[in-house]
Amino acid sequence: MSFKINVSTIVLAALLLTVPGEFSFAQATGSVLIQNATVITVSGDDLENTDILVQDGIIREIGQNLNAPRGTGTLDATGKYVLPGIIDAHSHLNGIGINEATNPVTPEVTMYESINPNSVSIYRALAGGVTTINLMHGSANVIGGRNATLKLRYGLGQNELKFKDAPQTVKFALGENPTRVHGQGNGIQPRTRMAVETVIREHFDEALDYRKNREAYLEAKERYDQNPQGNPPVPVAKNLRLDVLADIIEGNILVHCHSYRADEILMLARVFDEYGIENYTFQHANEAFKVAPELAEYGAHASIFADWWAYKFEVYYSTAYSASILNENGVTTSINSDSNELIRHLNHEAAKAVHYGQTSENDALRMITLHPAIQLGIDDKVGSVEIGKHADLGIWSGHPLSIYSINEKTLVDGVVYFDREADPDDVRLDRAIDPVVDYDDTSQTFYESIEGRNYDACMADVFMLFESSDNRQSWNQQIHNH
Amino acid sequence: MKKYTTIWTGVIFLFLFPFSLTAQDPPAYAVENVTIHLADGSVIQSGTIVWREGVIESVGANPSIPYDAFTISGGDSLHVYPGFIDGLGYWGTPDLPDPEQVSDPGNPGYERAGIEAQRSPEDLELDGDEITEIMKLGVTTAAIGLKGYMLPGSADLFFLNGDHTADHLFRSSVGMEFALEGAAGGWGNRAYPSTTMGVMARFRQLMYDAEALKDHIEYFASSEGSMTAPKRNRILEAMFPVMENEIPLFLKVDSPEDIDRMLVLKDEFDYDVVIVSAKNAAYKAEELKERGIPVLVSIDLPEKPGWMEDEDSDPSGEEEELYRQRQAEAYRNAAHNIRNLLDHDILVGFASTGLSAKDFHEKILALKEDGDLSEEEIIQILTVNTASVLGAGSRIGELRSGNIANFTLFNSSYFGEEPEAKMVISNGVIHEL
Amino acid sequence: MKKLTTLIVLLAWTGILTVDAQITEKPEFGRFAITNITIHTVTNGVIEDGVVLVEDHEITLVGKNVRISNDYQIIDGTGKHIYPGFIDSMTRLGLVEINAVAVTLDHAEVGDFNPHVNAFTAINPHSAAIPVTRVSGVTNVVSVPATGIIAGKATLIDLWGYSPDAMAVKGAAALHIEWPTAMKNSPNDSRSDEEVEEKFQGELKELNDFWAKAEFYNRMMNAFEENPQDRIRPDKDLKMEAMREVVTGELPVIISVNREKDILNAIEWAEEHSDIPVVLNEVREGWRVADEIAAAGIPVIVNTLYTPSRPYENYQRPYQNPGLLAGAGVKVVMGSGDTENVRNVIYNAGYAATYGLGREEAINALTINPAEVWGVENRLGSIEQGKQANLIITDGDPLEPATQIEHVFINGFKIPMTSRQIQLYDEFLDRDAVNR
Repeated sequence: MSFKINVSTIVLAALLLTVPGEFSFAQATGSVLIQNATVITVSGDDLENTDILVQDGIIREIGQNLNAPRGTGTLDATGKYVLPGIIDAHSHLNGIGINEATNPVTPEVTMYESINPNSVSIYRALAGGVTTINLMHGSANVIGGRNATLKLRYGLGQNELKFKDAPQTVKFALGENPTRVHGQGNGIQPRTRMAVETVIREHFDEALDYRKNREAYLEAKERYDQNPQGNPPVPVAKNLRLDVLADIIEGNILVHCHSYRADEILMLARVFDEYGIENYTFQHANEAFKVAPELAEYGAHASIFADWWAYKFEVYYSTAYSASILNENGVTTSINSDSNELIRHLNHEAAKAVHYGQTSENDALRMITLHPAIQLGIDDKVGSVEIGKHADLGIWSGHPLSIYSINEKTLVDGVVYFDREADPDDVRLDRAIDPVVDYDDTSQTFYESIEGRNYDACMADVFMLFESSDNRQSWNQQIHNH
Repeated sequence: MKKYTTIWTGVIFLFLFPFSLTAQDPPAYAVENVTIHLADGSVIQSGTIVWREGVIESVGANPSIPYDAFTISGGDSLHVYPGFIDGLGYWGTPDLPDPEQVSDPGNPGYERAGIEAQRSPEDLELDGDEITEIMKLGVTTAAIGLKGYMLPGSADLFFLNGDHTADHLFRSSVGMEFALEGAAGGWGNRAYPSTTMGVMARFRQLMYDAEALKDHIEYFASSEGSMTAPKRNRILEAMFPVMENEIPLFLKVDSPEDIDRMLVLKDEFDYDVVIVSAKNAAYKAEELKERGIPVLVSIDLPEKPGWMEDEDSDPSGEEEELYRQRQAEAYRNAAHNIRNLLDHDILVGFASTGLSAKDFHEKILALKEDGDLSEEEIIQILTVNTASVLGAGSRIGELRSGNIANFTLFNSSYFGEEPEAKMVISNGVIHEL
Repeated sequence: MKKLTTLIVLLAWTGILTVDAQITEKPEFGRFAITNITIHTVTNGVIEDGVVLVEDHEITLVGKNVRISNDYQIIDGTGKHIYPGFIDSMTRLGLVEINAVAVTLDHAEVGDFNPHVNAFTAINPHSAAIPVTRVSGVTNVVSVPATGIIAGKATLIDLWGYSPDAMAVKGAAALHIEWPTAMKNSPNDSRSDEEVEEKFQGELKELNDFWAKAEFYNRMMNAFEENPQDRIRPDKDLKMEAMREVVTGELPVIISVNREKDILNAIEWAEEHSDIPVVLNEVREGWRVADEIAAAGIPVIVNTLYTPSRPYENYQRPYQNPGLLAGAGVKVVMGSGDTENVRNVIYNAGYAATYGLGREEAINALTINPAEVWGVENRLGSIEQGKQANLIITDGDPLEPATQIEHVFINGFKIPMTSRQIQLYDEFLDRDAVNR
């Protein structure tokens, strides 16, 4: 095995040579002509022997025998497949904290303020062809924090990871997790699915009242400050939590709701219908297939696991055929990872929809590209290979649904962030290396090695204590609690 | 005139005590025949310092010693350094109590949440023993803050005087400490906020509430009209001086990511800031320079990897060899943090922020050896720079006439193996060791 | 052929009518002729356009151009492939129903030394996950108890049968040891190196003492049993009795171990107990010591879908681990470590195949290799005359996710191709159809 660092991509070169204070990276975009690939556009038909011209990070032309403008490099993709960058609509890949689990309602917190740009997991996800993630708040709270839509520009700082102009999204959670954390754990509502609904309604109503009162105060204040006559207005303090809630009701923030059972899914759909909230996504939603016709009617989306089930009671009656059922019923469905392991091969998670419900290959691939883009409100920018969209692309050795295909290059905004031909073993960023940890100590990080479902990413921060409660390296001792 | 002499070596007292035990203090003091290290790097051999009523009267090679100055001879072997200034330390302050269990973790109340902006060390008893320990290291002045979580309280600047430190307050509220620390408590007794993003949200809400209260108080005071009386709140009101840019927030952060987070809040509320601790702040040097933000830096360098000093330690293979290269680079980066900040012309002072007194001198030597800082630069950071960050540069920091008499007499250069403080002059008060 | 068509129609009907159809749906049993099919024998190459005959529990013929009497049910395999049923060598199937519901967990007994507990006892033949698993092509699993140092005995079962007795291929298939680690157990482990080493040495001593006691007990009992007349019968000790078949080397010992240093320690232990057939399980850092494992002649149970164990490690190492081990000469078998998604053992094998193990060896790791490791190579693991009829019929490469498993035979039973997950699909694909 060679340990030689053979770095050719500009980003890796830059990140490995970073000198503190000497290096700041603009939001880089690249220009390149990808030649002679089989292009899986996802939005339309696959295109054989096709070139893609990328300029300044944007797909400018798709066609045959395109010419590279002066100064634009070429990338020969003969025999290769180009897939839009995979989008993971549910991830906790690189948060410094995931769950503000101390209160059942916390939309005032945002994962944009919890980004760890230094996690090696980002690189490992890129290696799997992923270019965009929904870095989600955890599922401890009925109304959790806002999520962060990120591009995996590994090597850059947290601000440069943000997906520019992506709409805000927020996490909700129904069922076992919030009732267990707050009801069972702290003796405060909700303890049941009944109160999950009332917690949402109470807070929505409070937010609407607040917005009315706050706006009335601001008007009165303006009047009074200009002309201080009569009684001064009593200040109504700005309230971040209620502001976000009011914005949710007004449709400015997309809801992504952790949910499992059909009844709770319908509950939220009813409540949202009443408050006029549209364009939301049920996350996990293992039983969404049971109410697929209703979801289609409400226009609600589903973002699901390909085949996870039975790790907790509320997912016992679920099926790996659910992606196909939802798809057939007209529900916009994505397949997500919720795992730093699964995110490495979402293409093959999508392949499971082909295997189980015999969903078409193109529909299956949409579930990890265009559909999550729709659910995150960024489908005008990414999610398919189309002129004008961002050049977020994976170049695969074969058809990405084949088990024998390997992602060879990942481009974000036309910049190569992963190249299997220049793939050093140690891709840690300088600023992330703790000089106190010796080589011999580092295998203690072994316990960060995770297997998909066994690691409870969604409930991170809440059940941390359990994770290292036994010093024996059992093959499967962690808890299952998504 | 009575000459005071003593044997400087061989006797070590465990405790400091004020020198002035006699019934009547002399009108002035002088030390002569000492090597004076000025903060600007220049050295005066066989120099003399004269001070009167706590203020330096003269510093130089041959100033005339006034007739009424009680004179101490250094016998040519002593080294005088300007008194070091700690930009933020917790010396002598009480330890944190165990957090109480809360019945509603989402609404724990201000104090349980770690919001104690109203607290101030000048209202507390300070433990003189701890303070004495750092005086032996040459520190004569310290902004003392409080241990805590998100907003532990304000920091007050004291001249250190052992048990009597509380009597020597120099300035109150030189800064208000703010850290991205969740509320106290671990598994089972956490409280809001428990995450960094929670702290940020909680801080915003605190500011919004403070703004509303401030408006309310002002409206109420300015109008005769009918109006509900404002509900006064000491904690929110303690934030008013921050909002009015009367005192800066001392942002206690280390990583570039946390610095980013703090700057987001600064941009939202536009308060004055000092970055404190700042162990990896060099990664943000350009931005700090551009924004003109000063730093009170920690000198708590990470421990040097053992293998770097062990010639017999061979790596097990290529993988370890590469690992070591990067580890060594990481150590170098950490050690060069201050070097890089200075190279960007950032004003860098010093803050101990939890460093233990016993490690202090060792870290200073490491800064010189591995951090690529000159002795002069280190002294400047510990004295005039810190004074300047604290806005006290016209009174403390340098040894010059008109400044407050803060300096320490060591038996050797401070950069020797084990320099021993023999006498500390703090706010003009002599402490003999 | 007509009979089969009718049956399929009937199955479709019952699927629509009730979700519980599976409870009454029976497998078929008797004589089957699978014709015109590509036979992947595993042990004797590939036979194109071949025939496999199944009668009662056995494969009675594997060949070409066979005349088939008309009392065989014919399954036309044109364009199809037949493989031996896949074996997952590391599961909790049947022992765990819902991981988060403690009362449904029967895999982890209290105490550090439990050689006397046997997974066989607690296998629930009606676990919802069993049909889900077998229709995906996995016909056999080893179900393994966990926790403690000696966790208990694993069982090798067919995934068809109304009782553990009917399912058992080997009631007791192996003893499971969770190897005591000599490493810190998390990044937050604040113990000193000395404390960590002391804990390891303590646990190792406990294991060795227990072993020595078991060896003594076995010798004592043998001596008594050879000549009981003149001797007083020693008191029976259930744990020690359970160890007799282990210390004599009749039963393999699975050692679950992951990290480089721990693997080397486990190899040392195995070499000190050279009469005992040892199998290392999980070995995520196995590729680091592949030569040492190969030199010790120890087979390994591996999977591929986890993240690299060290932060400075290449992203592909988990995928490459089986290939690197096999390349060094280690016998590799696949074990998912899963319960409800044991079906993904095939997916794990696919990654191993792609990243160095190769397709053929990956299939071996699901078939003949585990059969040999568990000492059932005369019954399972290949398509050979006289072997138990555990077979799967596919429309393509079974490692490819798009491939469909069309038929499954377990112990000669032609298994109904349904499970709760399929029934839910049938019921909900067009949920409101019956109301129209």
